[in-house]
Parts: sequence; C-alpha cells; structure tokens
Amino acid sequence: MHLAQLQLISRLKKMDSKRTEGHGINTIQINKAREIHAQTVRARNPRAQPRSELHAPARNAPARNAPARNAPARNTPALSAPAPNRHICNNPNNPACAHCSAVIIPAPKATLPLEDTPSISIEDWTITTRKKPILNSKELDEWDRILGGLTMPEMIFGNSFVKIENRKHGWCLEFNALDALKAVKMEDSGIRVSYANKWIKSKQAQQKSSELADSSLQIGQHYDWTYTTKYKGTIKNGTHNFTHDNSATLPLDKLSRPDPILFYDDMILFEDELADNGISVVNVKIRVMNERALLLSRFFLRVDGVLFRVYDTRVYVEFDENRVLREYKEHEADYKYVLSKNLGGHSRDPKAILRDSNWVAQQLPMVRRECEVLQF
Amino acid sequence: MELDRCLERLYAGELLPEATIRALCFKLKEKLVRESNVVHISTPVTVVGDIHGQFHDLLEIFHIGGAAPDTNYLFLGDYVDRGLYSVETWTLLMVLKLRWPSRIQLLRGNHESRQITQSYGFYTECVNKYGGSSDVWRQFTDVFDYLALCCVVDDELFCVHGGLSPNVQTVDQIRVIDRFREIPHDGAMADLVWSDPEETGGQDARDGRNTGLESSSPHFQVSPRGAGYTFGRSVVEKFLQLNGMSKIYRAHQLCNEGYQVYFGGLVTTVWSAPNYCYRCGNKASILELYDKDNGYFNVFEEAPENKLLHHASTSGQITNNNAFLNEFFDERGGDVFSDEYQAASASRRHVEYFL
Repeated sequence: MHLAQLQLISRLKKMDSKRTEGHGINTIQINKAREIHAQTVRARNPRAQPRSELHAPARNAPARNAPARNAPARNTPALSAPAPNRHICNNPNNPACAHCSAVIIPAPKATLPLEDTPSISIEDWTITTRKKPILNSKELDEWDRILGGLTMPEMIFGNSFVKIENRKHGWCLEFNALDALKAVKMEDSGIRVSYANKWIKSKQAQQKSSELADSSLQIGQHYDWTYTTKYKGTIKNGTHNFTHDNSATLPLDKLSRPDPILFYDDMILFEDELADNGISVVNVKIRVMNERALLLSRFFLRVDGVLFRVYDTRVYVEFDENRVLREYKEHEADYKYVLSKNLGGHSRDPKAILRDSNWVAQQLPMVRRECEVLQF
Repeated sequence: MELDRCLERLYAGELLPEATIRALCFKLKEKLVRESNVVHISTPVTVVGDIHGQFHDLLEIFHIGGAAPDTNYLFLGDYVDRGLYSVETWTLLMVLKLRWPSRIQLLRGNHESRQITQSYGFYTECVNKYGGSSDVWRQFTDVFDYLALCCVVDDELFCVHGGLSPNVQTVDQIRVIDRFREIPHDGAMADLVWSDPEETGGQDARDGRNTGLESSSPHFQVSPRGAGYTFGRSVVEKFLQLNGMSKIYRAHQLCNEGYQVYFGGLVTTVWSAPNYCYRCGNKASILELYDKDNGYFNVFEEAPENKLLHHASTSGQITNNNAFLNEFFDERGGDVFSDEYQAASASRRHVEYFL
C-alpha cells in the first residue's frame, strides 16, 4: 500500500467521521477498499504473482536468517517439482512464504477488516489461531451475564483463540479467554494491594470522626481480583481424554533444536493492570515445526509490593507418534524475594525487569507440577 | 528556545534538549501554580481522554479535531506510560499549554505520578531518551504535581480523570485540596483520579455462579483489591444535584468503541488511545462539545504511522524511526503487502524458540 493510499484512507475515514449523514458511502471509498483487499490477498501469495527481475535479490534475503535445512528453494524454476514439505496452509489468505515455507501471518495487520485465521495442517493435525480486537460493549454485556458477578478485566481478547485439532480422532483442544475467565474464583482471594491496610485504617478513622458520608467500608463484590486462573485449555470435542502421568517430561532436547518454525503465533487472552497495582495476563504462544508443536499458555501475575505468580501450561504434540503431553506448573513467590534476586545489573531501573515474565518465571520456586499424556 | 521553534521540532517528532525541558518545566509550573484545582471554561471545547504516550495518535487528534489554538482542548490526563512516545507527547502538551494557556487545559490523571510512571514505562523511556539520567523524569514529574484536578464546563459539566469521592460532596471541597504533591493512596485527590463507575442495574439475571452477592449498592463501594472506590448511580445523582450540574465526563477506562455511557448518560467515559498498547484493536474518540447540551463523539482509529513505528521499535530501532519509514515508504511505491516487504518483514517478524 502506498503512503498516498494510507493517507487517502485516513482522510476518508476522517471525512466519514465528520458526519456525512444522508450522503451514503462514497463510491471511491468502496472501489479503493476492494482494490486494497484484492492487493492484500494477492501480495500475500507470492507464487500467484509474476516476479520481475527487480524482485530477485530479495528472494534470498531471509534465507540467511532461516535455517537452511528443510527450507526448499520454492522459487520460479522449482515450481513444478513436488514440495518436500508435508504441511498444508489451510487459509488462502495466509499462504506459505515462498522463501522459508512458514505460514505468512503479516506483522502489520491490514486496517481493512480482512479476517486472519491462519491455519496449518500436518498429517492428522491442524493448528489454527485467530486474533481479534478486544470485546465491544455489547459482547461485554453478554459475557457479564455468563460470568455473573465477575468484574471484567480491562482487556479481553474474547474472539481470539488457539486451537489444536486431531481431525482423524475428532479431538480438539482450544485456548480462549472465556474459559480462562470461567476458571477465576468467585471468592475473596485473600490478596490485598500493598497499601490496603493503611487505606482501610485511615477510612475507619475518618468514619469515626464522621468526615466520611454515606460510604460503607464493605467490599462490594467478592471475586478474585487478581484473575488467577488454573486454565489448561478447553477440550472441545472427542471422547479422548488425558491420563495423569507425572513422570512424563517434555523432550527438551527435541524442542531446543532450531528446527524451522513453520507457524508461529503469540496472543493475549486477557489482561488487567489491577488499577496500576501490577499486572495479570494470560498469554498463549504456539510454534509448529515439521515434526512437533509446542504451545505455552502462561498466566502471569505481579501485585506490586506483594507477590508474583506464574502458572504455565505447556502442550506438546508429536505429530507422527500421535502423542500429546500437557504439563502444568505453578510458580509463586513474594515480591521482595524476587526483587532481591535482581541486585546489581539493572540498578538504574530495577523495576523494568519485573515486567519480563520469562525472567520472573526463572526466579520463582515451583510449587506444583502436574503432567498428563494423551496417546491416540 | 522560542515556543514556536519548540513546537516545530516537536511536531516533527524530535526531542528537545534537556536544558530547554528544564526551562519549559519551570515556566509551566509558574503558570499552573496560579490555576485553581477546579478550572472553569466554556464551550466550545473538545474533550480528550487517555493518550498514554501514543504520540502519533495525538497528532491524529489534532488533525481530526482541529489544530491548536483553532480548537479549544481539554485533556483529561494520562498522557504518559505504556505507549512508546510519552516524552514527545508530554513535551508537546506542555509547550501547547505554555503557548496558548487559555486554549489548552491539562488535568491530572493517575499516571501523572512518580510512583506509577516508574512501573509503567515513562521512567524507563525518559532514562533511555535522555542519556541514562533520570533528571528529565524528575523535572516532568515535578510539573505533574501542579496540574489541576478537574474542570467545569459552562458551569454544568463536571470533567475529571477518574470519578467521584466519598470525601467530596461539593465542588468547593475540591477547591481546598492541597494538590501540589504526589498523588496519595488515599483521600479525595486519589479518588478523583482513580475511581470508576459501577453500573449495577439490568444485570440481575445472574446465574448460579454468583454466590452470596447482596444486591449491589448504588453507593460507594470498596474494590476487592482492598483500596479504591467504585461509585454507583445514586452517588452521581446526588453529586450533580447538589452542585447544579447535569453530566460527568471522565476518562480512565479502556472501551472498545472509544466511549462508554453509564447511568443513562449521567457519566460518560472518553477514551482517546486507539489500538491501545498497539494491540487492543479498539477505537478511540474525542468529544466535541458545542454547548452544554450538544456534543458529538468523533470516533477514530489508529494513525497509520503507528503500525510501522511500533514495528520498527520492536525490532530495536526506537531512535531510528525515520530511517525505517523511509526504507519502506520513500522507496518507489513501497507496498506493505508486496513480496519484498513481506520477505523483509518475515525476517524481522517476531518468532521465538520458547520452551
């Protein structure tokens, strides 16, 4: 898209927002939108496009970064040769990259509502993701009814999901925000912000001197305001279920090999900054390689001055063995302990590192681990 | 440096030298110290909610709502933190206020605080952009202490960052607050920038998940966090009646549509950071008030530059935005969906071998 076009769109947007009641939609706008839509889809599928000589040098550029193994030379001359890759890209809007054969999930998202539901299939397995904006107020009302009594987190990506399916056995494991929030307890978490005591005491004092009118010092609604969730994904279909086997472990050797990543996505299911007392967030990442996939769903909680929690669910799929392993770990420690691990180093901005869930997870002691296996 | 020169540089996205910042902060404090806690203005005025360092969206707001000083602006606070350009955003607003003090009103939000900015990015950004020293951050946060707490438009519309406080029944009680300090955890000043409306009507059809919840009070309630308030409808009605006002406009809470109406229009949230944190996909709005009864929400989406700038910054080029833009835009017909662009961004695309 040209800068001029971007500007045109934003200008049209502005014209539109400046009340054009009764004028209908400008035809130029529609044609432009169609053109851009077509261009977007066309451009994401490089193979469908004639290549000019000029484009040639760019072809080799990413090969430097991508591991050479398994990266087929899928450019013009090799088109007729059968692809050595066995994966299939299910969404024509998200084709494989001609250079490294990874599924294209564009970094800058189109402003126009092109829905992206990138999906990849390897043998019997299909992995699909969708990323959409936060819920609107209508959806929020609906969720409010479903989740009754829970004050919603600030940001809910309620239409986003990650799905791992086995088509042959009709089995599906999905990670979504609604189910993650259903697992939040509707009772007092017992956790209070760092200054809660001081706050309540000063209010009580004010009440005694009757400075404070018509306010009860009752907590309005009890729900776990830290949104702590032990969510491990939702099994959507199928009679197959996991069996507990705490002796099972993730094959770290296989997973730390730099096999080319064919599909990668990373999304937040919900997030709340706890009225600026920290952060509570569920984040899901998935990477799919030729032989296996790994998903990490992480609940990260920081209550400033109080505590940290990291609850990780890892789902590992070995495609050829038709085996799924789900590992769940809880880590927790109090705030001071973690802060003390960071003496030196980042002294100028000691709190910066406390935002990094990876670093925090490494500092926290594990309080619980469970492992489950599913063999088809 | 002359204010107009400063503006020129700021609109171009440049930082001002530290010495200039110091002078600006001093001048602005001098000006703000004479303002009351409660600023009185009249329509027409355009009300702007949270910006959170989304500088390009602020420029977009001036495109949409009209440039200063042609349009009067009332900003409801939360200029900094979270976005990548809090320094640029706040410096620009400071200079605008100095240049046209009666045309620009700046209220204090809960993020205009030393404590909060250390946790949510502004501190880090100042240190990164000003040579590893926290002096500039100290200068900026000192100015925050001087910002007004609320604004009354046409004697009828009450504008504040967060909401009401049980310690405040009348606007006069706000006038006597000693505001020249860090935002405390407690008391009227804290509540004004922190509290949220809580709508309770129409949600009675709750299912069995809800155990032991007494019918929600329309009054003030303590949050389950153990500090801070939510306020209900009767609190709002009482406050408005007592003060002879008709509506409350506030910011502070993200909403997908850019604005959110509570209690049948008695309280309205204005949110002005589109695609908040560069990933929420929400719309934003500014509220154009023509007179006390007529207003219009101008809803808009993220500025196109944001995507690219953010993209650039995540690849570790925070200071080098222009180079990045040139790379993709000025190159004959740089098409973001083209093969070249996709190839280039594929190598930049965030892929992590997480375990």
